[in-house]
Amino acid sequence: MKHGPLLFLGVFAAFFASWVAGVLAPHLQIGGQSLVQIDDLGIQYPLDRTGEAKQGAQVYRAQGCHYCHTQQVLQEPLLSRLTLTDAGTNITDAVAALRKVRRDLDADAATELVRHPPQVILAHAGASATDQATRLLTNAGARVESTIANLGPDLRRGWGTRRTVSRDYLRDQPVFLGQIRLGPDLANLGARQTNTTWLLRKLYNARIDLPGSTMPRYPYLFTERRLRPGQAPSPDALALPSEFAPPAGIEIIPTREARQLVAYLLSLRSDALFYEVFPPPTDQCRDKTGRDHERPVRPNLVPRP
Amino acid sequence: MPPPVAASLAPAAPADLDRSCRWPVLVLGGLSAGWLVFAAVLGVLAAIKLHAPGMLANIEWLTYGRVQPAAWNALVFGFGALAGLALALWLMVRLSGVPLAGTGTILFGAAVWQVGLKLGVLGVLAGDSTGIEGLELPRYASPLLLAGYLLIAPWALVVFGRRQRRESYISQWYLVTALLVFPWCFASGYVLTSFLPLRGVLQAAAQAWYLQQLWVLWFGSLTLAALFYFLPKLTGAAVPSRSLALFGFWTFVAFGGLGGLTRYAGGPFPAWMLSLAVVGNVLTLFAIYGVGANLLPSLRAALSRLSGNVVLWFLGFSLLAWLTAGVLTALNSLATVRHLTHFTLVTPGLDQLAFLGGFGVAALGGLYVVVPCLLGRDWPSRFLATLHFGCAAGAVVLLAVAFLVGGLVHGAALNNTDVAFLTVAKRYLPFASTGTLAQLLWLVGSGAFAVNFLWLLGACARTICVPAARALVEPLPAEGKA
Repeated sequence: MKHGPLLFLGVFAAFFASWVAGVLAPHLQIGGQSLVQIDDLGIQYPLDRTGEAKQGAQVYRAQGCHYCHTQQVLQEPLLSRLTLTDAGTNITDAVAALRKVRRDLDADAATELVRHPPQVILAHAGASATDQATRLLTNAGARVESTIANLGPDLRRGWGTRRTVSRDYLRDQPVFLGQIRLGPDLANLGARQTNTTWLLRKLYNARIDLPGSTMPRYPYLFTERRLRPGQAPSPDALALPSEFAPPAGIEIIPTREARQLVAYLLSLRSDALFYEVFPPPTDQCRDKTGRDHERPVRPNLVPRP
Repeated sequence: MPPPVAASLAPAAPADLDRSCRWPVLVLGGLSAGWLVFAAVLGVLAAIKLHAPGMLANIEWLTYGRVQPAAWNALVFGFGALAGLALALWLMVRLSGVPLAGTGTILFGAAVWQVGLKLGVLGVLAGDSTGIEGLELPRYASPLLLAGYLLIAPWALVVFGRRQRRESYISQWYLVTALLVFPWCFASGYVLTSFLPLRGVLQAAAQAWYLQQLWVLWFGSLTLAALFYFLPKLTGAAVPSRSLALFGFWTFVAFGGLGGLTRYAGGPFPAWMLSLAVVGNVLTLFAIYGVGANLLPSLRAALSRLSGNVVLWFLGFSLLAWLTAGVLTALNSLATVRHLTHFTLVTPGLDQLAFLGGFGVAALGGLYVVVPCLLGRDWPSRFLATLHFGCAAGAVVLLAVAFLVGGLVHGAALNNTDVAFLTVAKRYLPFASTGTLAQLLWLVGSGAFAVNFLWLLGACARTICVPAARALVEPLPAEGKA
């Protein structure tokens, strides 16, 4: 290479292209996302956190919780479970259709299934297999219902009811997605845990309730207070089992930071449902006139109150 | 009368070149050695805390969530960036055949960088981190680093612009890339995440992009610049194919920066971003092939000369580590593999293999060549250098194997929902404690390097200072009596 300017320009162009692809284009695509209305009262999702929880997010940042905990729920590609809910009037056709769907069934077994709905016909089936089975069975006059079945380890662990999407993070600054799971995912901690005392005790020493836990202790988020003789213990004092309890006459009081952090942790939930998190409608949603009728594919998820 | 043109075009002697860049390179190299030891101490602390969570838990400044980023920043911006800049300046001066200008500015820039990084690491330890991994330095520190860089790096480009021969060397291509990439990715990363933050997950996209540029285009380019200069120089075997080198370089520049988002595979991003990242990572294999096919033969040819040549061990090891890390990164971006490895120790394992094994070991090997050239005196202890290599190579291999194997075990346990989460943690613990052993080895090696460096500086100081001091103390002959 004899030309310095060619080198400069080439590197510059390649670098600029990666910047456009990695930063600019995503910004143009989803940078303008707005909050989404999730109910008739006009409540906008993501919900704004309380002031205490917002301060707690800063404690979370300062303590570096995100080096061990992620805040993102992953979901496997859509797999469905197909349930026969009603065989319809023509049992023979329904049995024939069922035997096309499930080639492993003999006539007796298929008839048995068709006669006693509801029956699970397909578990963990891909989208095209489910579509085909739905078409065959509905043409035979039967009714089927398809639900999302295999949702991946994150959902099976109870870390959420759906995958997290970019809209869940619109109010977060900074965003604590996290890269390593040395501890459990926290994207929906507030949905599975509502006990402030339990969380405070966890922060004080995670091994009180979970022996063998690898989570660090955060004793500096608590103050030790010496009780004067005859003084009643503070209602805020942490109740600790005897082997973790301080000597008599001393009580452990959570600091403001500890309370803020717990308020933030309890505010963590990304389980609201809106159109992005629903599975896409399949072809069978439309009848011949092109109007939507009842969607066969619905998540078996109920929004939490 | 102006000097004749011929004189200005005459190539400067290596000794003159070294004299022109002696102070900047020595100061940058010395500072990087200091940060290397400091980061290694913090790294050991963080590694221990991973499997012994009760240790030093009472000290807020030393909680895992602060020590870990402090160690990372000290290692990357203290050791990595300063050693990289030292090598870049020296290589550019040597390859261009032009003395370094702007020595004072460079020294000032090093001071600004040093102050900024000290503030930043202290800030992270005090809880002022920005909360974005890899971009933790607080707002009062990161602009200082950029300012320091802008005082140092342009001088290398000035030297490149004044080069003696129009034809440029392979190392120079990589150096120019590294020097151009850093300020852009650093500024872009910090501005878009902490000064004018993008909305929501776009911050994470910017962060993933930044980390990719930092690892691949900045440290990767510096590694390759060092390898393409030192390996042929030490083995005496020329790079076989210039066209292959060109092919490797342009594929590296074009595809190297695209693969960032595999860090967040499956995360809340548009699907095309991940596809692009996978394509980028796989296409980078072309660059890895280009580098490997050009450099491995020279290494093989030098096998017989390996014994006793510590510097060659460093550079050969670095080449192997860099190639392995590249292939594994491409492999790790494939969906089936990633399904097992995401959120596990594999992520830090690959980063460490590329950074410590690839860049770190190459930069240290480079410093083992450069420092004696600048001081005109060989390293005082051969044993310490050998010890350093043994520890560094051992640490990298141990860390990579522990984290990659541990990551697979960790991932298998995470994906198996019959395994309770506490058991998941118990499965990766043995690998985490192996990581501590590796960090301890790295610390011992870094300590050996620092001692050797200080010893060398002390010996030089003595040869200069002792005669001067003696001249002061001893009475002057003859005149004193009169």
